[in-house]
Amino acid sequence: MFEFAIHVVIVALIYGLSAISLNLQAGVAGLLNFGQVAFFGMGAYALAIAAKAGLPWPVGILAGMAVASLAGAGIGLLGRNLAAEYWAISTLALAEIVRLIALNEDWLSGGPQGLGGFPIPFDGVEGVRRGLAILGLCLFVLIASLGLAIYLTRSQFGRVLRLVRDQPALARSLGHDLMSLKLRMLMISAPIAAISGSLYAGYIGYIGPDQLLPFETFLVWTMIVIGGSGNHLGAVLGAVIVEFLYAGSPLIKEYVDISYDLAASLRILLVGAGLLAFLMLRTQGLIPERPARLDARG
Amino acid sequence: MIGFLIDMLLRANDLALLAVGLSLVYSLVSFPNVAHVQYAASGAFAAWAIADRGVPLWLAIVLSMALTSIAAVVLHRAIFDRLIRSGPPVAMIGSLAVAMIAVSGFLAIFGSRPRRLPLAMEAPTMVAGAPVTPLALWTLSGTALLLAGLTMLLYFTPFGRALRALAANRTLTAACGIDPKRLADAVCALSGAFAALGGIIIAASKQTYVLLGSDLLLPVFAAAIVGGLRNPLGAFGGALIIAFGETLMTNLDVGAALGRQSWFLPLGYLPAASFSLIAIILLWRPEGLFTRKTRSV
Repeated sequence: MFEFAIHVVIVALIYGLSAISLNLQAGVAGLLNFGQVAFFGMGAYALAIAAKAGLPWPVGILAGMAVASLAGAGIGLLGRNLAAEYWAISTLALAEIVRLIALNEDWLSGGPQGLGGFPIPFDGVEGVRRGLAILGLCLFVLIASLGLAIYLTRSQFGRVLRLVRDQPALARSLGHDLMSLKLRMLMISAPIAAISGSLYAGYIGYIGPDQLLPFETFLVWTMIVIGGSGNHLGAVLGAVIVEFLYAGSPLIKEYVDISYDLAASLRILLVGAGLLAFLMLRTQGLIPERPARLDARG
Repeated sequence: MIGFLIDMLLRANDLALLAVGLSLVYSLVSFPNVAHVQYAASGAFAAWAIADRGVPLWLAIVLSMALTSIAAVVLHRAIFDRLIRSGPPVAMIGSLAVAMIAVSGFLAIFGSRPRRLPLAMEAPTMVAGAPVTPLALWTLSGTALLLAGLTMLLYFTPFGRALRALAANRTLTAACGIDPKRLADAVCALSGAFAALGGIIIAASKQTYVLLGSDLLLPVFAAAIVGGLRNPLGAFGGALIIAFGETLMTNLDVGAALGRQSWFLPLGYLPAASFSLIAIILLWRPEGLFTRKTRSV
């Protein structure tokens, strides 16, 4: 039970990173990214491929961050003259292309079987102590990313981006280059999601195309909506709550005799109903974004 | 060549009713309803469940379309109409939540086993040298009739004129004494019925399964976006273009075209055809192919 609790906490922290990344894009900059899982996948596969090639794991993490940042710039450029909803659908489509590449390019990604059996961080450490070591690493990365995200959001850069989100016409009239601001936000936030992917692959020791399904993106969206869109502490809280519900719901099978399909359905229902309930009843989430005074100059 | 055309028409037939309905709703409520494709799955499942109780198939199809219409109207009134007040992004994420709840519902009620509609297998007939099943002919002509009917409705009736007016200028139309709420109900009902029939068409030639709707999401959105998202007939054109792209990808011998050894594009990338078409067309025409800057009614 203790090991399972550690596992759930680690996965929650990893999702927390992804949630911070999406919250920077969606909550702060108003970018409707429905392809967030692609950044996660790039980090995860980069770590797995680098580890298979015998490189130390920090190399894989850095490579994943670089690839995700470039990909972020790419999908940002695609949105140059697209309306927000059109861009949202495009990002969903591009993430599916990334998943198809993972599924089909056996030489690179191992195809449908995915990649496993590569050297993983803290490989020699046994059982619970390995879990605790990974937990410490994840917690450290999460706190560092949280600090960076809060700093970015409070800085002039973040303030202007919130103005771009709420009053795009006003921001443009003040001389801000909307495109460049959004691109920079994507290039900064995508690597955070890539690290979460690398940590996941490094912790589990496996990554496959099934971990890149669009549902993973929807899960992260649910986390930031529940936690409080625009508030990074809220995003982490949302990640912890959703992951505990998601990981905990199959435990029902221990007490009530229900079929596998029903248990799977219950998990999806929890996520969907939670998302809808917060959108309808508490759109601002558990920890609302604090309205800040805007200083839109510069 | 005829075989290629027929393959393309059949694929367009899978997408057209859904894309047209999606576009129709978008022109009124202005948010992309991700849950729209789930009406196809619910329509197919409902038709199967009703027919499974011994009801004749045609009646099961009509009942399923009616039920899906009602569901579409209820969902619009209870959820989407409220969410849209917080802005299109909130409504879009809300429709995503509804789609998840729908999928979990299908999984809980029908399980993960695919279901087949009770249709007898029939030998294909030859049309201009290519084999076509009678079922395909039926569904193709059904879709053609419905789309022709929709065109008449949109362009030759007071209802259609009110609808197009509302899509063009909401405030002005409401000021002319047209009730946007009642029109929205009618449009949701219509698009729900279309989507249900679209799902039944797919279930008739293949089968119905939990992710039937989710698998249609990107091709249907691609068709509607390519068509311009506000233009229902453009969405039909979009469905033809997406079907053309996908059929070309499966049939085009790239190697032979380049004068080398025969080589086909890998089939694993087939779903990418529609995604890539979205990206290419949006880069070239951000508002879709069949849109005009000024609209007159």
